[in-house]
Amino acid sequence: MNERIDPRVEIGVALMLILIASLALFGAKDLPPGRFEPLGSAPVPRAVAGMILLLSLWIIVRALIDKRPIATAAADRYLDAGAVLLLTLLFVAAMHYRLATFAILTTLYLTATIGFLVRFRRHQLPWVIGIAAATGFGFQYVFTRVFVVDLPGL
Amino acid sequence: MEGVLTGLMGGLAIVFTPMGFFYVALGTILGISVGAIPGLSGAMLIALTLPLTYYMPATDAIVLLIGMYVGSITGGLITATLLRMPGTPSNVMTTFDGYPMARAGKPGRALGLGIAASFAGGIISWWFLLLLAKPLSIWATRFGPFEYFTLILMAMVLIASVSQGSLVKGLIAGLLGMLVSMPGIDPSSGMPRLTFDQHQMTSGLKLLPVLIGVFAVSQIISDVLDIGRKIERVESAKSGIMIKARDWWRYGGNMLRSGLIGTLVGILPGVGASIGSVIAYTTAKNVSKTPEQFGKGSEEGIVASETANNATVGGALIPLIAMGIPGSVIDAILIGALMIHSIQPGPTLFITNPDVVYAMIAACLIGNIIMLAVMTGSVNWVAKLAYIPRTYLLPIIIVCCVIGAFGLDNVMFDVWVMLVFGVIGFLLERARYPLGPFVIGFVLAPLMESKLRTGLMMTAGSITPIFTRPIAATFLVIAIVLLVWPLIGEWRRRRAEAAGVAG
Repeated sequence: MNERIDPRVEIGVALMLILIASLALFGAKDLPPGRFEPLGSAPVPRAVAGMILLLSLWIIVRALIDKRPIATAAADRYLDAGAVLLLTLLFVAAMHYRLATFAILTTLYLTATIGFLVRFRRHQLPWVIGIAAATGFGFQYVFTRVFVVDLPGL
Repeated sequence: MEGVLTGLMGGLAIVFTPMGFFYVALGTILGISVGAIPGLSGAMLIALTLPLTYYMPATDAIVLLIGMYVGSITGGLITATLLRMPGTPSNVMTTFDGYPMARAGKPGRALGLGIAASFAGGIISWWFLLLLAKPLSIWATRFGPFEYFTLILMAMVLIASVSQGSLVKGLIAGLLGMLVSMPGIDPSSGMPRLTFDQHQMTSGLKLLPVLIGVFAVSQIISDVLDIGRKIERVESAKSGIMIKARDWWRYGGNMLRSGLIGTLVGILPGVGASIGSVIAYTTAKNVSKTPEQFGKGSEEGIVASETANNATVGGALIPLIAMGIPGSVIDAILIGALMIHSIQPGPTLFITNPDVVYAMIAACLIGNIIMLAVMTGSVNWVAKLAYIPRTYLLPIIIVCCVIGAFGLDNVMFDVWVMLVFGVIGFLLERARYPLGPFVIGFVLAPLMESKLRTGLMMTAGSITPIFTRPIAATFLVIAIVLLVWPLIGEWRRRRAEAAGVAG
């Protein structure tokens, strides 16, 4: 593979890693030294976060100086992925705030998500709603009555 | 040896109870089904099933998961052959010859060879699992904290250096996994660490939400991206699925060689089935009398790839059972499963929980036999699963992910953790960071840190034993070589390229 990743992706992900490592370094700065053992709880997270920081910087430098051609991305459906992610966030938030029962929220979520992915084609909508309701109410029955597991939601 | 056979009989007795057999069979069939659906993986299935096993007896839970492990590696053969889409990453090499064979009108033959080879690989590595796990665990009981620390260090470097992509990215992924495992109450001092005054963080980031996020949610986001991709397909056929005795004879040597390669690669910590099948395929090509056929529908290629990827299952279970070191990503999840059932993996597992160990070994054997029967008898039916519309399937799996993450402790915080790691996993994969080192780092870091700190307490802060104790020093040297070797190789390659340009 003689093509490189889009440097924006490479640098963006490296920056995310630097942020995570910096958070860990910040969180570890006030940890006390060990009292009953020589090492204490701070050095290992500091060392690990420090190494992530250095290696991520190396990735950024390499992405900036690399002159190989950029790999062409396939015709991706980023909008679809973003929409599914957004709907999932709303679904989880609705369950977090217990806006309705698991069965109802799941039915709504699946109707919206599957419906979006099939572009709300009219002839498919009855199937979508049927499958969504069967899954939502079916899961609620199976998990609470058969497996006796608590479910999120009201 | 007598103890091993007695233990195996005990394990078989567990697996042949009605519930034990039901769970192995169920696990294998589910594994095959999930493996046959492109985009779904064994790791995803096992991570999602884990919450349902909380209330099951430990042996039933483990045999169910082992069945899934065996089944999922094999199920991917179907889509690799009929759709040119590897059902799991370990079936990539099978697509090179399986699909051309299917296109040439021999789909049944291609599937039959793959099924037989998978069975052979599973059985070869099972023998090694049976014979090596106990002696290795006895040897590992001699390890002190410094030996364990350097062993895990070596495993981490090995995982990073052989993972797909660059060494630096493998190292970063492993280190990130380690870092993510650190928040929570520090076991040595009893003080909170990296919790940022959030009470939910005092119990740390739990294995299951992180795993479901990294393996299931991130995969679903990736799958949504290519949901509209047109799939070329070849219909399956019944003829040729049962291979003849002369085929076993003809490909016996290839199966044995590829099985040994797969087993050895599996034993190496964190090196998964994909690499096993690549090495076996390349070796088969190098020793073949018809290397030009590879990539165009070579039967030898299918046999090598499928034997090796199934052989890694038994091989990878060896370090898990003997030392508590995962041989693959799925083994890292199995370690989590053992811990959820209050079983501490490690060299003393044979002493503390022999029933669980031998049930795992027996389930591996019976899972392979069930796999052979199910795949031979119903491969045409299983193949239809590959055509389930993913527009319907993926959102339903997200709901399963939410239930799985919530079911751990009935707190929504775990669901949010799962989502965050789903996005992180997706981004890492987009930038070609391997996820295997991340998970193995996450699982092994607490053990690594605790061994280092225990060792330092024993020596009043001196790390000298790392260099003076023979086993620890050997592991350290191997770790350094593994780290430096790819860098030297890269430097020599660049120098050669520069010389070529100058010339």
